[in-house]
Amino acid sequence: MAHLSLVKSLARLKEEQQHSDEIVLDRFGIALTRGAITEFAGAASSGKTSVALSLLAKLTAFGEICAVVDSCGGFDAYSAVLAGVELENLLWIKCDGDVEKAFMSADYLVQAKGFGCIWLNLNGLPENKLRLVPKTYWFRYRTRIKETPTLLVVTSPESVTGSASQHGFEMTRERAIWSGTGRFKLLRNLEIKMYSRKQFYGEVSRTEIEMDYSQI
Amino acid sequence: MARFRELRSRWIIRKSSIFETGKIKMLKSAEVRLRIMSKLFACIISESANRDEAVLLSVAQNFSPRIERLDDGVLFDVSGLTRLIGDGKAIEQNIVKEMQRRNVAGKVSVAENAETAMLLARARGASELVNPIDEFTDLPLRQIDIGADTLNVFNDLGIHHVRDLLAVPTDELVKRYGREFERVVRTIRQKGDRCVVPNIKETDVSWSYELDFAVHNFEQLIFVVNRGFDQLFARVAYEGLSTEQIDITLNLRKKEAKFYEIKTSFPTLEKSFWLKLVNLRIALDPPESEIVSVRVIAHFAKPRPDQRGLYAVSRPEPESLLLTVNKLKKLVGETEVGVPVLLNQRLARPFALDGTRTPSSALSDAASRTHVEKSSTLYAASGVCSTRRPRSVIAFNYFRPMIRASVVVRDGRLVHLKTRAFRGSVVEYSGVWRANSRWWERPWSVEEWDVEVENNGLYRLRFARQEWFLVGEYD
Repeated sequence: MAHLSLVKSLARLKEEQQHSDEIVLDRFGIALTRGAITEFAGAASSGKTSVALSLLAKLTAFGEICAVVDSCGGFDAYSAVLAGVELENLLWIKCDGDVEKAFMSADYLVQAKGFGCIWLNLNGLPENKLRLVPKTYWFRYRTRIKETPTLLVVTSPESVTGSASQHGFEMTRERAIWSGTGRFKLLRNLEIKMYSRKQFYGEVSRTEIEMDYSQI
Repeated sequence: MARFRELRSRWIIRKSSIFETGKIKMLKSAEVRLRIMSKLFACIISESANRDEAVLLSVAQNFSPRIERLDDGVLFDVSGLTRLIGDGKAIEQNIVKEMQRRNVAGKVSVAENAETAMLLARARGASELVNPIDEFTDLPLRQIDIGADTLNVFNDLGIHHVRDLLAVPTDELVKRYGREFERVVRTIRQKGDRCVVPNIKETDVSWSYELDFAVHNFEQLIFVVNRGFDQLFARVAYEGLSTEQIDITLNLRKKEAKFYEIKTSFPTLEKSFWLKLVNLRIALDPPESEIVSVRVIAHFAKPRPDQRGLYAVSRPEPESLLLTVNKLKKLVGETEVGVPVLLNQRLARPFALDGTRTPSSALSDAASRTHVEKSSTLYAASGVCSTRRPRSVIAFNYFRPMIRASVVVRDGRLVHLKTRAFRGSVVEYSGVWRANSRWWERPWSVEEWDVEVENNGLYRLRFARQEWFLVGEYD
């Protein structure tokens, strides 16, 4: 009967599938699960970064330590502060466009256990390089963070995590709202739409994100 | 019978002589024992005690491990040195010689009583050797801790020195000035019971190892250093302390010694953590030559409390965080990992990465206000309190390097934008936004626009040095 121990019991499977710890982002109408991979994919200006920053803001505000793996050096700390991120609680890793370094960094962070959120920002990386990343990487991450409080968030122009992610959101920009007339115009809002790739019949969530011109 | 008497008397004489000899021997050995057991204290008083503190302590450490640091010098127990060096006078001469060798000025005194030694040293001229007994009786009374009123009375009575006061019967003095005056009487009779209270505490422990054969790589030394850490941490733990700083000195062949100062923001005695950290730090800046010896110093620190709050938020263990940061630094570069900080300048990118810091798990102002009230419900059920709404602002994402663009401008309006990756008509734009950190000295260095490109994203467009670039996208 020893070989049967390799098979998980039904009770254990149910226990694993339970959403024990969720982070609710009211504004976007989504709840993200800790100990799992969440992916936000979308074209330019679809609001991926805004969602990721909202999540970091929520976690860092309560003292959780989060990390940003900045694949291409695109991270804007000023936007992060405007979104409410506590920079003191944020670890920033610049990978200078090196895919391997970005994935290795994420691996180290996942192994450290205890980070509230690890944001792997793949924006700006060439698609052909991203396609070369073995899918096993994502499953490795999934296994590593399974029983930790860490939430691994991946933002990329196209979906890359496949079935390794628990949540996958496709994001699009519906329209940009400008105020003013003639030469005196200001970008005010972005109307974005997001739907879950994992829940085929799930509702499409629509929200607005606004431009903040305030000085810090 | 006469013969018997003679023999008996001889026996008695012999017995008594044996007894007498034994008695003398016993007395002599008791005297020696007393001399050995008698207490001796040395005191060094120096005007530059604060400046030369380290030297004075070093001089004292040459004679005794029991040292008390005074405000104006050091007091140390030299009991037991009589066999090794000689009487008090000889010990005093040795101390003076040692001070002269180290080029430090001060007044030295050795006496059988700690208080006497201190009083004599304070009253003496620099490095002056005189008979302590005569000297003590000649001490003015103002040197002794006597109240000002009492001292005035003694002055009026013509009692100026210790010898004058010794002439007054003790009972009379105690009767007149109370039982507390007994302390003064004990002092002037050199019977004070003050002890040396060692107040010099070690601040670190060290371990060193000379290698039989020089090694090229520090990793080859890990097993040796591991054993050293065992010994070091056992000694630190024995003191009931921990450590948050380890200094490593690697002596190199034909090169200057390499020094590493490794600090953490928390005290720990976890050997495997320190080994990994030391290895990572040395790997970042390896020694240039072969290592011939290694010396490790662990500095003492108060141990950290083990228990965290019941509702403490999730965060990596400090050891794990520090190791991860160091691993990342090794992977991507030392300056590429850290905490983002905003710069108080009007730059195009008004922030930087502080590679010297690690995240500190601080609460935000708003969170700290609500944390105490709501901590019991914050993380209990839903993981994070959902009462605090994150601000959903349009974030910015930089392009590195900036993307070169060609822009069609018609009648002062941006009309069309083309890059290597995409092209499209400009739907809307705002600007021009001008930025410069020192605009009052230099002309505007940066001119920027926010543009929305048809069927594409929203970008920040920059015109600099007669060229157009896309700085980044709004996302």
